[in-house]
Order: sequence, then C-alpha cells, then structure tokens
Amino acid sequence: MNRLLPTVSLCIGMILPASVIQAAVDYETEIKPLLRQHCISCHGVAKQEAELRLDAGVLILEGGSKPVVIPGNSEESELFQRISSGDKSVRMPPEGSPLTTREIELLKNWIEAGAVFPAEEVFSRSPHEHWAFQPISNPELPEINCNEWSQNPIDRFVYAKYQAEGIEPSDRASSSVLLRRVHLDLTGLPPTIQEQDQFAEKADLNKVISELLSRPEYGERWARHWLDVVRYADTNGYERDAEKPFVWRYRDYAIKSLNDDKPFDQFVLEQLAGDELPDRTLETMIATGYLRLGHWADEPADPKTDRYDQLDDIISTTGQAFLGLTIGCARCHDHKFEPISSKDYYSFLAVFNPLERPREGRTEKTVNFEGTEVYAWNETSPAPNPTFLLKRGSPSNLGEQVEPAVPGVLVDQQPEFPSAGDETCRRRLGLANWMISQENPLTARVIVNRVWQQHFGEGIVSTANDFGVMGAAPSNPELLDWLSYWFIHDADWSLKKLHALMLSSRSWQSLKSPTSINRYRRLEVEAIRDSMLFVSGSLNPKRFGPGVKPPIPLAAIEANTDKGSVWQVSEPEETMRRSIYVLIKRGLIVPMFESLDLADTVSSCPKRQITTIAPQALTMFNGQLTQQLASSFAERLRAEAGSDPARQIQLAWQLSLSHHPSDSELEQMTQFLEKESLEELCRVIFNLNEFYYPE
Amino acid sequence: MWNKPPFPAPPQEAAPSLPRRGFFQSVAAGLNGAALTYLLGHDLYAAEDSQAHHHPRAKSVIHLFMNGGPSQMDLFDPKPELDRHHGEAYFDKIAGEVEFPDKAGALMRSPFKFAQHGQSGMWVSDVMPHLATQVDKMTMIRSMHTTNLTHEPALYKFHSGTEFTGHPSLGSWVSYGLGSENENLPAYVVLDDPLGLPVNGINNWQSGFLPAEYQGTRFRATGSPVLNLNRGYVQPDAVSDYERDLIGRLDQAFAARRSHLPQLKSRIGTYELASRMQLEAAEALDLSQETEAMFQLYGIDHPETESYGRRCLIARRLIERGVRFVQLFINSQIWDNHDAIATTLAAACRRTDKPTAGLLQDLEQRGLLDSTLVIWGGEMGRLPIAQLPADKNESNAGRDHNKNAMVAWLAGGGVKSGFVYGETDELGLSAVENRVSVTDFHATLLHLLGLHHEELFITRNGLKDKLTGVNEAQVIREIFG
Repeated sequence: MNRLLPTVSLCIGMILPASVIQAAVDYETEIKPLLRQHCISCHGVAKQEAELRLDAGVLILEGGSKPVVIPGNSEESELFQRISSGDKSVRMPPEGSPLTTREIELLKNWIEAGAVFPAEEVFSRSPHEHWAFQPISNPELPEINCNEWSQNPIDRFVYAKYQAEGIEPSDRASSSVLLRRVHLDLTGLPPTIQEQDQFAEKADLNKVISELLSRPEYGERWARHWLDVVRYADTNGYERDAEKPFVWRYRDYAIKSLNDDKPFDQFVLEQLAGDELPDRTLETMIATGYLRLGHWADEPADPKTDRYDQLDDIISTTGQAFLGLTIGCARCHDHKFEPISSKDYYSFLAVFNPLERPREGRTEKTVNFEGTEVYAWNETSPAPNPTFLLKRGSPSNLGEQVEPAVPGVLVDQQPEFPSAGDETCRRRLGLANWMISQENPLTARVIVNRVWQQHFGEGIVSTANDFGVMGAAPSNPELLDWLSYWFIHDADWSLKKLHALMLSSRSWQSLKSPTSINRYRRLEVEAIRDSMLFVSGSLNPKRFGPGVKPPIPLAAIEANTDKGSVWQVSEPEETMRRSIYVLIKRGLIVPMFESLDLADTVSSCPKRQITTIAPQALTMFNGQLTQQLASSFAERLRAEAGSDPARQIQLAWQLSLSHHPSDSELEQMTQFLEKESLEELCRVIFNLNEFYYPE
Repeated sequence: MWNKPPFPAPPQEAAPSLPRRGFFQSVAAGLNGAALTYLLGHDLYAAEDSQAHHHPRAKSVIHLFMNGGPSQMDLFDPKPELDRHHGEAYFDKIAGEVEFPDKAGALMRSPFKFAQHGQSGMWVSDVMPHLATQVDKMTMIRSMHTTNLTHEPALYKFHSGTEFTGHPSLGSWVSYGLGSENENLPAYVVLDDPLGLPVNGINNWQSGFLPAEYQGTRFRATGSPVLNLNRGYVQPDAVSDYERDLIGRLDQAFAARRSHLPQLKSRIGTYELASRMQLEAAEALDLSQETEAMFQLYGIDHPETESYGRRCLIARRLIERGVRFVQLFINSQIWDNHDAIATTLAAACRRTDKPTAGLLQDLEQRGLLDSTLVIWGGEMGRLPIAQLPADKNESNAGRDHNKNAMVAWLAGGGVKSGFVYGETDELGLSAVENRVSVTDFHATLLHLLGLHHEELFITRNGLKDKLTGVNEAQVIREIFG
C-alpha cells in the first residue's frame, strides 16, 4: 500500500526563534512565553485590543490608554488585577482557561521585582515597521582594525560583531580543509588527488572557486537545494501516486539555470510567469512547472475543497519560497500572528485562480509547446472568473469579490498589474514583476539568506522560510542588508557572484568552532551518496532526463500489493548517477534517502532536518550500496596504489577525506589490513563521522 | 576472494556489567553537566532496574495517539442532555470557542447509542464494541482540557508540553529519564502509519533540546519496520565487529577533538545500538512467530484492521523486550470529524477498535499490563453543537474542535481499573469536575513511571527546562490503583 499524504496544509507560522535566553532570564523565559501563549493574539503586533500590546517590555510599561503595569506594585497593576480577577466579566483572557495560579504568581513576582526586561529587546512598533518589511538599506562597511578581516566586506560586518561580543575569531582553516570544504559546498563531491596536489603546490582558493562554479556539477548540487524549497517530487502522492509526466524537465531546468548563472530575478520571473513573458521560450514554459509540483489527489473526496487545496499549495509555497512569508496561514482567518489578512490571502489567490490543471479524469496531461511535452498548468482565458474571499476558508461560503494584490503590509501602494494578454490575464506576470522589483523588500533578502545558510550551516535569519513577525530576528541585520543590496545592485542577481563573495571571505574560511559563524552540519544524503559514488570511481556523470530508480531492499516493498510494479529498478549503470536524478516518489522514497532525512515533499522545506537514529547506521553499514561501492573503491585502490597496504591506505584517505592519514590512523588501518580486506576498510571509511561531518 | 587469517576477538573496552552507568556518564558529558545530577546523586545503581525518583508503578508506555481530536460525547462521555436539547440553538453562548462559527449548528445528540459495560458499568458507545469489553482495565479521564483549539499548537502541547516546536517530546523525556530496559533496542520507538505522517510530521517525536539519542526512532511504516538488520553480504560476525570497532575508535578520536558537537557522539551511539539491534530487532519484529489466534485477536486477519493491528502487535513485542516508550500514530487526522460524524467517526473506530482491545487483552494475558501503561487519546475534544456541511444537511453534520473538554483513557501501569475520573458539564462542552490539564496529565504520567516532573529537567543556560515547563502541574493521585 502506498503512503497517503496528509491533506492538511501545515501552518508553521508560529515557530519560536531557536535563539533566546538572555541576561534577564525571568522575563525572557518565563514571562514572555506566558504572555505569548495567553495574550498576544489580541494584544500583539497584529492586533491591539484596547490599544494595548504585551509583546515587548517597553510596550507593557507603556500600557494602553492608561498604564497596566506599575513596576514594584502588582496590586495596583491592572494587568495583574485582570488576570487574577474572580469576576469573569473582568478577567483576562476573556475566553478559554484563566491563567494558572503558578502563572499568575510568576507575573506578580515579575511586577513586584520591578518588571525588568532586557534593554536590547527587539520589537516592531507596528507590523509595517517590522525589519523585513523595510526597504533594503545599503549600510556602511564597519571600520575595523584588523587587516586579515578587512579584505572582504562580509568580514568587516562579521568581525565587528565578534568584537562587539568579545568573541575571539577562530583561525583560518588549513588549505586541505578548505579545498575539501569548497568542493563539497559547491559541487557535493570531494576533490580529486590531482586537485589536491595542485592546490598543495599553489593554494589559489579564488581560482578554485571560480573554476568549480563553472562546472556542471555545481548546478547538480545547488539545484537540489532549490528543489527542497519548491517541494519537488516526481509523483503526485496519495493513493495512486502517479508519476507527473515530464516533470523532470523542471528539475533539469533548475540545474541548467544555475549552471548558466541565470540572474535570480529572471529565475523567479520564469517560474511564476514564464508562459506570460513576451519572449517566452520552451525553457520559460518548463519553468512554470514550479506551480504544479505539489501533491495532488486525482480522485478527491470533495473536489471544491480540493481545488482550493491545490491553490493553497501554490500560495503557501510561493509565499515561503520567494517572500519568506507564511501567507498560507490566512486561509481560514486573518493570520493570528502576522499582519496578513484573509483578504490578503484571497487577493493573492486571485493571481493563481485562473490556472487550470490539464487532465482527463484521473490522468494528468501536459501542455504541448512547440512539439515538446511540458508539465505545466494551463491558463486559457484572458478574462478569468472572479475570485471571492472564502469566509472561514469554506468554498461554499463566499465573501466579497477580491482583485489580485500583494500582501498589503509589504507595500504603500499596490503594484499595477498589467492588462490581460491574448491568452492569459497576466496576473502572475504582474506579481512576478513586483517580486523582483525594488518595491519588494523580501525576495533578495530571502535568497541571500538561503545561500548563506547553505554555506555557513545556519542562516543570518535562522527561519529561512519565515521572515515575518514571528520569524527569527536576523543575527546580523546590517550584513544581510548589505549583501542583499550588493546582490541586486552590484551582482545583478548573479548567484555565482554571491557564492564567490561568500566563499572568498575570511569568515567562511575560518575553522568551525563553537563561536565561529560557520557551523558543522551533516552532509545531505545526496552529497553522501554522490561522494561514495565518486571516490569509488563508480559515478556515472550522465546528466538530465527521466528519474532513475536505484535498487531498494525488497523488504521495503514486500507488503505492497503492487510490489512487482511499484519500483522497477533502472539499468545498473543508470543507478550510478548523481542523486538529484533519483526519482522522488512521494509514496515510496528510496529508503536510504528517507532514513537520512531527505526534504519533506509535502511543503516547502527551508532547511533539512537532521535526525541521528540507529536505522541510518544499519543502512550505511549493512546496506547493499555501501557493500557494492566499497568493493569498487577497493578495486580502484588496488589499481591505482598497487598492493602495498600503506599506499592503499594513503590513497583511500586522500580520496575520501582529502588529507593524509595521521600516524595513529595509519597504524590502526595497517593493523586492520593485516587481518582484514581492503573492501572492509572501504566500508569503514564510508561510515566515518568525518565522512558525514566535513570540516 | 582473499584469505583471512583467523580472527581474534576484538578487545573489550569495558565490561558490560553496568551498561547504564556508561549510558549516563556519556550523557552527562555530552550535556555539559546537565540534568542528571539529581539522578546521579541518588545512587541509582543501587537499585536493580530503575533510575526512578520514586518507586515506579509502570515500567513502560504504549501511547496510542489519536490525531485529530476524538469526540468525547460520541465515544466515552454520554450526554443525555444532548438528546433532550437536540436541535436547540446554543452557538451564542460559545461563539468564542468555535473554529468555524459560520458552520455552527444547534446542539446535536450523538448518532451512537451508549450502554454500560463490564463490572464497572462504564459507558461506551456502540461504535467501540471491542473496547467496550475491556472497560474494567481502564481509567477513563473525562475531564481533560487543553490550551489551543488549532491542531498544530494543540499537538505540540500534547506531545511536548508547549504549543511550539523545538521542545522534547514525551517519549524523549521518558527515555532521557529512564533509559532503556533493553540495550539492544531503542528506548523510544515510533510506529507511524503506512498511509502517511500525522500533522506536524516527525516533529511529534523530536528530542528538541535534548540530545539526538532521545528522539523517537521511527520504524518504517511499510514493509519491514527496520531495514538492513541483516548484512546484505556474507561475512563472519567477528569481522563486522572488528570493522565497527575501528569505526568507533576513529569516530571517538574525531569527536574528542570536537567536543562541542554532541551529534558526533550521538552518531557513534547509533552504531552501537544498530549493532545490538541486529541481535534482537529482527526477532522482535518477526510476526511470523505469532499464532493465528493472535492475528485474529489483533484483527490482523482483516483488511480494515490489519495495519493498526500489526502495529499494536509490534508494540506489544517491543514492550515485552524492554522498549521503554512505544508510540503509535495514525495518518493525517482520522479523528477530526468535522463532517458526517456518524460515518467518519465510525470508520476511525473500525480501524482501531479491535486492535486496541486485542492489545489490552494480550498484555493482560501475558502479565504485562501491570507494568505497561497504555495511553489512548488525542490532542483535543469536540463540541456538543453540530458543524454543518455546505448544504446544511444535518445528517451529514460533524463536530468542531473543543479545547475545553477532551477524553483520554489509561490502562495498566498502576492505574485503577474500571474507574471514571472527572466530569464535563451536562452538554460535554467543558470539563468541570476534577479538571485535568495536559500538564497535569504529563506530570501524572511521569509519576507513574517513577519520575517527578519537577526533578526531571535539563539545565540550559542556567535554567531548568522541564516537560511541564512553567505550568502548574498536579499529579492526579486519585487514579492510582
């Protein structure tokens, strides 16, 4: 039986920033969460009943029309009186359970102790003032007194912050570490022996960076990051989980676009409105496959609701992917925590409402463009039906008619949507043009942060899909703005220039340490598998085309009624291709991929989760793939290093870990080889922490 | 092939006589002086088989989680007043507590018939015929309530004590506090549904700010629960042991130079556990050892109950072998019966009723029920008024979310049998007597396992983080047997 996908869209707008806990512990960890839980949906930035806000210390002291907290005197403080009152007509919150005596006690003690809160608490006076909704500024580079850190603009911001926080920057990583890091970061593959030798001779990192950026493997690595964001999969999910015909052309489009260094603004434009561009091409048509990547029930119980589920998938993904906004949460009611109304949601929906899914019954159809099958939606009329607000999200409860618009909080004035074209109403073109315009403060910030997150292990904004009021505050807002401004104005939206800038910084080249700005992260499953294929000499570099099906353990499908047909393994040489070409079947993810935390395919994935569980060790230690590649690796070592165990070990270490073994490592390996085979040594290497957690 | 010399046994690093001491030491080291000071200070190892704060009533937990909010007044909390007032308008009195006000209908009686069962005479509706035979094993809590009527935050609340993601789940806290009774299996196993993940996905069993080894280990939902338990190649065990030993030594050296990365240590732990799982997991998960009668008891012989029954049976086998916490999930939210409750709730029951009853019977037969706490319940309850479909056809009505009343039952593990605790008001809208918050429920659960909710904490940045957080928690001693 196949896995069904949940039919609900998740509303993850309320994720707490992972950071927190500052000096004034009581307020941050005990008072603030309590107020957040009970009070701020009515007394917060989005809504201010009685003109009172309780989401920041300063605002609590300001009170509403009169003060609600008198520091040092809880009895006289209206806040305390209201939460502790026995009179239901007075007591807050007005609905639901009252605060517990423990919570009341906490608030009382906090007020009695002077209602202290950290002076540096960050908050916005109005949602319009929220940092991410402000135009991107072009901050001055901080002056610093350290030559080593003055080379690259990024470093001046980073170093200034280190200085302000009294952090001693970590040393620059060794050149062998850096070479491995840059290769894995940009291509997902470790450096060859020749590359290591060349670099040992002349460590010109900038040259390596630009050379790697020109390789096709760069696109194969980085397109996968983009596929996470756009919830890519090759099938529809649900009961039948049918393959999306020719959807792989979108995956190939993403790879080619990155390799061509297509300006990111153009990339956005094509995916949202490639069919509405005056100079549309096959490529821009394929790009709009983005809109159709979501899961799809081919036989929905309630077709009306299902239609809105499909649109919600587009809106939620588009909001998160390009704007870093959880617009989807406003489907049934005004967003509880963000300044996004239901009207905003349905106005945004009006942009996509004219789309129609080409299908014949349960079978999906493609769009034919100049003789090529394209997996995209159809828009067939320049004058679409009107869109209505759905009260409480119910398709049978129409509210007012709405016109296409972008979320009001982001603009002083709505952008002008172009007039309808011959075939379509060109609303998506209007939205896309606004997205990439200077009027929109988010798109550049969001992508710059994604790239940063991938290179440094953690974003400047740690919630990469949520730049809203409830998202995490930027750890270095000036740096984010400087980079975003630079990305638009100096780099002309070139991602390759952005990579080069980041990787040529001293910050990125630092040793990873507890205080360093770059963090350890386990490699993604694709890079782990691709590295194994690569170092064992098994990688089939063939690019593009339909998804491939590598072997999976039979036990994974033994319970399927369709076990004979559900996963027909590809030809052996096909299965040795890079992981981005492996078919993502929503109902049957390749077990190794699933176990090692492939991105969720239901909705946009801002960052891979990393679980650490025993089934992973079983997969990597006992699994067929490791066994097969360990054999190939051993064969390669014998061919290239001859029969001398010491040379075999040297080569194995260099190929897989990009450095020479230490004396102790060499000794342990040699002892091992005295008793055991080279194949077994290779399996050991494919399981090492160091193979998974690059420096 | 190449020749191998006879293989000597790899050197033993430490005698395995005190496995959990090592467990705690490495945990404490990994956490930089965290939580277990209380535990370590109380000479745990003097006790034979527990690190508990006080004498435990239960050793292990099977948590049957019912995503979506099962309707209390249609299952376990009969409301004759609803029959009497059926069709009367009531919405105005509860407008603030309704998620979809425009769909709100009048008060609605249950489409199901209630009867008393067992020695205890506990009321159960006719939609749970099998569980009805098991009421004398249960403590029914009718007076639960929660803090949010939206699924996502309510799920986080129930699973981790706060409405937000990032906090350790119930099972993580328990395995953090008590470890595993069986070193060869994970302490905390999650059996989710082949039909898909629940809402909030794998965040339901995350370890949050506890180390990664305390997250739920998700067994696969289709096919074999754990793949690759056997090597996909032929090789003597001793050779594999030597390989693992080498991996372990190299990994330890790598991790030692990066002591700020606890995940490296956790990863080493997964190899140790994986190797021990090979000894036992295949046997533990091998249902072919079970009799036909057992398959019938759990409903595995019937397509509708096959999937849930299989997981219930696996849960029993895992508990039998010392797994501390087993959690079963159902895809999406089959208990979220906004529409046509007469059919949708019945369908949810048909999938789960027989397997659940079978599990209770089986645990008792095997003498496991005394030491195993079975928990049944969802993240919220439902309203006494109808939620009407678009065509306003009452026969297709469902019920909307309710955070002020929900039902849960416990069985075994030191709770009373055939006992009903707490009451809702006459319509089932709110818990009114002996109210039990989610926090109370958590504290009670920990207590049954021998843990005190104030003493089970981890220190982060100078603060004690607990499952019950800053919330006031009452241990509900009245339900203890």
